[in-house]
Amino acid sequence: MKMKKLTAALMTAIMTASMVVGCGSAAPAPAEPSPAQTEAPAAETPAAEEPAAETEAAGPVELTVTTTFAGEDSNAQNYKNAVAGWEAATGNTVSDTSATSDETFKTRIITDFETGSEPDVLFFFNGADANDFVNAGKVVSIDEIRAEFPDFASNMNDDLIAASPADGVKYAVPVNGYWEAMFVNTAVLDAAGVAMPGADYTWDQFLEDCQKIKDAGYAPIAAALGNIPHYWWEFAIFNQQTPANHLDIPGAADDATGSQWVAGLEDIKTLYEKGYFPDNTLSATDDETFAMFTDGKAAFLLDGSWKVGGIVGSCQSDPEDPSTLDADKLANFDVTYFPGKGNRKTTDMIGGLSMGYYITKKAWDDPDKRAAAVSFVSYMTSDEVVPQFAQHTASALKNAPAVDETQFNALQVKAMSMMSGVTSLTGAVQDLFNGDCRVSTFDGMPDIVVGNVSAADAVQEGIDVYLDAQ
Amino acid sequence: MSNIYKSKKYVFFFLAPAFIFLILYLYYPFFVNIYGSFRAIKNLGTYGTKWNDPWYENYVKLVTDPVVRTSLKNTFLMIIATIVGQVGIALLLAILVDNIEKGTQFFRTVYFFPIVISATALGLLFNLIFLYDKGMLNQFLELFGKTTLTDWKGEKLAILTMMIPVVWQYVGFYFVILETGLNNISQELYESAAIDGATRFQRVIYISLPLLRNVICTCLTLGVTGALKVFDLPWTMFPKGMPLKETFLTGTYMYYQTMEAKNVDYGATLAVLIVVLGVVLSRITRAVFKESEDF
Repeated sequence: MKMKKLTAALMTAIMTASMVVGCGSAAPAPAEPSPAQTEAPAAETPAAEEPAAETEAAGPVELTVTTTFAGEDSNAQNYKNAVAGWEAATGNTVSDTSATSDETFKTRIITDFETGSEPDVLFFFNGADANDFVNAGKVVSIDEIRAEFPDFASNMNDDLIAASPADGVKYAVPVNGYWEAMFVNTAVLDAAGVAMPGADYTWDQFLEDCQKIKDAGYAPIAAALGNIPHYWWEFAIFNQQTPANHLDIPGAADDATGSQWVAGLEDIKTLYEKGYFPDNTLSATDDETFAMFTDGKAAFLLDGSWKVGGIVGSCQSDPEDPSTLDADKLANFDVTYFPGKGNRKTTDMIGGLSMGYYITKKAWDDPDKRAAAVSFVSYMTSDEVVPQFAQHTASALKNAPAVDETQFNALQVKAMSMMSGVTSLTGAVQDLFNGDCRVSTFDGMPDIVVGNVSAADAVQEGIDVYLDAQ
Repeated sequence: MSNIYKSKKYVFFFLAPAFIFLILYLYYPFFVNIYGSFRAIKNLGTYGTKWNDPWYENYVKLVTDPVVRTSLKNTFLMIIATIVGQVGIALLLAILVDNIEKGTQFFRTVYFFPIVISATALGLLFNLIFLYDKGMLNQFLELFGKTTLTDWKGEKLAILTMMIPVVWQYVGFYFVILETGLNNISQELYESAAIDGATRFQRVIYISLPLLRNVICTCLTLGVTGALKVFDLPWTMFPKGMPLKETFLTGTYMYYQTMEAKNVDYGATLAVLIVVLGVVLSRITRAVFKESEDF
């Protein structure tokens, strides 16, 4: 009987203890200081005693890495190759959780930081989207890393590395720049009798062309306003402004900047009312409207430089194998400037170096991972790897290699030709007007274009959220 | 001599782990959630930096928010679809299968199969079926001469398009339960009725359905409470309540506010609403579909 009692008591104790241990595991393990406990100077940590130039960990380490090099991103395959190269060179491994960049991805990253499950290395936006984890001290500045690893990012032009808007400190090492422009399916233009737009393309000409394209039975603009209205939002507002004031945040919907934002959104509403977006623009996903564009059912696609890879991939019988490229099909695609309006020149573009590699405090404070994380970022931002990613976009390299056009496909060459005529490159104001401020005009775009909500009310709602967070 | 089976104190030892587990992972988060609904919280993992102004702001918004009304309406539609579509169709299929001599096991497997597929995978599958351009359904209609494309996920048809896969997925679940219930009815009753000249239809109406009442009540209770928890399939097919926030359910709207709109405190308020709704509906369901002791 005693044995039964003992067994019962032991079982209960084990069950309770295992549950309590399970609860406890949600918090950072004692060996891994929580972010609040990591304010000690780097020099006080054990790894600080290692040689400054040492960038290899003592033994194989697994790094968790999250980037946006996934899905249809032009560099998804380059990233896989580079990771494989680093793993082979160091013996370390990468647990990759990369995903396509969208609002869900941004929310996931912010939540990961809040809940203490952030990756060791993160490729993320250097604008206001990163403010929360920068303010929380959960990423390590480039200067702090250089104090221990002097060669870290020494191949970069520091003037081109963006500082965080949260505290003016530089955290993210950039790889490749980006631009946003209007991709064109020239086969659709030909069928509709519309000429390829050039550097002097105006908004009025654009409206005329859209009508011709619609009359010919095609969708003029491939865009999913209910899913990804970001690019139209940015350029429609930019069209009311100039590069000099595009990054201004309005204080109210009826002040000078606010009125420009409202006018921009009303331009999108006009396009919707004229029927220039696909019939299902409010219910479609971005993938669906992109497929319409590549299938020759829509003429214009406003998107970023990362979409070049997606378009080229759609012209390959095997998206993973460049040798299967159908060059004739790719010849139907071109890229040009967004039509200009008002004081914005057609050749004024949105672009820059908006993302970079962060090393998180969590990895930095882990003696096993610190050197590996530095090694990984150094490898991914090296003079050899960056040009593979940058291709037809800019980089922050001090010694960027000369571009060999023979290595590029026809669309990349056209993109480079377009970029040679750019008169200005301005950052995206949505990178400063971050997260929840954009909800009323991003997620609310369908309500704006159908008239359920006025553009002014939607803009004011976003401004209220922005001001409340200041 | 004391006996472990007679002493009540050991009962508490064994109840303790589950009790503590529920306190830690259900009741404590629930009360924290109520607390969070009064705070201004932007990101998960924090309690925010200040109270809402006024502190009950979210509850006022809950009453005035038109999307809450839409999501409540859709949730009630989902409950009706569950009762009529899932349990109703399952009952019909179970009665039909019960009346065939061979192949019962085959139909059980076929109808139950959708349950074992993840709702997210089903969502992606139905996305392809209902796709606007090149979707299976629109291509099929083209074969019959339809010249225009139908936007199955557009404003007019979105709710129907969302409910069809949800109903389809769970029909098999209730089918198996009801079929098992039918198998438990003694064959002698049917044989007696047949001797008395009852038709098959009369046997169903006067024998099967009355004797199946308690099983049907159980299915309806499960269906109504299950309808409140439907999330993954609608979210996969209609993220962010597309189009025009018309397809939100209470669960998907809570998730949207918390994870997408970063309005965590309002998401917490919606969670309180869902809990209240769940408690009220389950009590109503128990009262309406009360099992009879006569069977």
